[in-house]
Amino acid sequence: MLLSNDASHSLAIICRKDLSLSKGKFASQCAHAAVQCALHSQKSAKSDYEKWRNTGSRKVVLYAEDVDQLQELQQLAEQKNIVSALVKDAGRTEIPPGMITVLGLGPAMKTQIDDLCSGLELVR
Amino acid sequence: MGIRSFIHRLTAPSPLRSAPAGEYKLALLVNHELKMGKGKIGAQTGHASVKSVLNLGKDDPSRLDAWLTSGQAKICLKVDDEATILSLIKSAKSMGIPTVIVRDAGRTQIPSNSLTVAAIGPALVDDIDKITEHLKLL
Repeated sequence: MLLSNDASHSLAIICRKDLSLSKGKFASQCAHAAVQCALHSQKSAKSDYEKWRNTGSRKVVLYAEDVDQLQELQQLAEQKNIVSALVKDAGRTEIPPGMITVLGLGPAMKTQIDDLCSGLELVR
Repeated sequence: MGIRSFIHRLTAPSPLRSAPAGEYKLALLVNHELKMGKGKIGAQTGHASVKSVLNLGKDDPSRLDAWLTSGQAKICLKVDDEATILSLIKSAKSMGIPTVIVRDAGRTQIPSNSLTVAAIGPALVDDIDKITEHLKLL
């Protein structure tokens, strides 16, 4: 379930439920994804990027089951021309280097993001 | 083009620019008194990082490149309350380090207009440590 508000555009940050990261590690990974998606879309999806920035840069943080589900979601996003960024951790702390931790999707129309992410659990 | 080559193209340093050599990082200060959940913190640190990166891209692109190409280190730290965060931000500003403050609209979990996360940097690790070395990891 996604939260409803008035923003037209949204960025989804999707995390692996099968990794048990500390709060700080988890937050850093979310930040990586948000930065990659913002920079990426600034070049390749300028109109979506600007609409997103101008409507409060909405972000939603969701859980996927595992890395396979992240990769499936990324493929779906690519088919729909939605910006995506898989984050691979440098592995300096907590987890091995090169491990995929989170996926950023968007910014894109909120309806497109909701469509892609339907069924994913909201991270509280 | 693959995602990795794409990101490389975005983040590869221009040979003409220069920034002080050394390791760079971005410190994210999380307001601990708000008792935010994991997802809320993730979204707020995302806001702060994106703002920091966009600001630095305008103000000092060479420093941003230095951070982007050196692993984009981020560190999340616990701070007791809003007043403490604001005094840390003041110290960073006095050293000329970029800062960002995120206040939340308060749609979920917390009162509206609370200071949720602040960011210091991206800047040289040694400079950031001068301000944050006493803080605990989140």
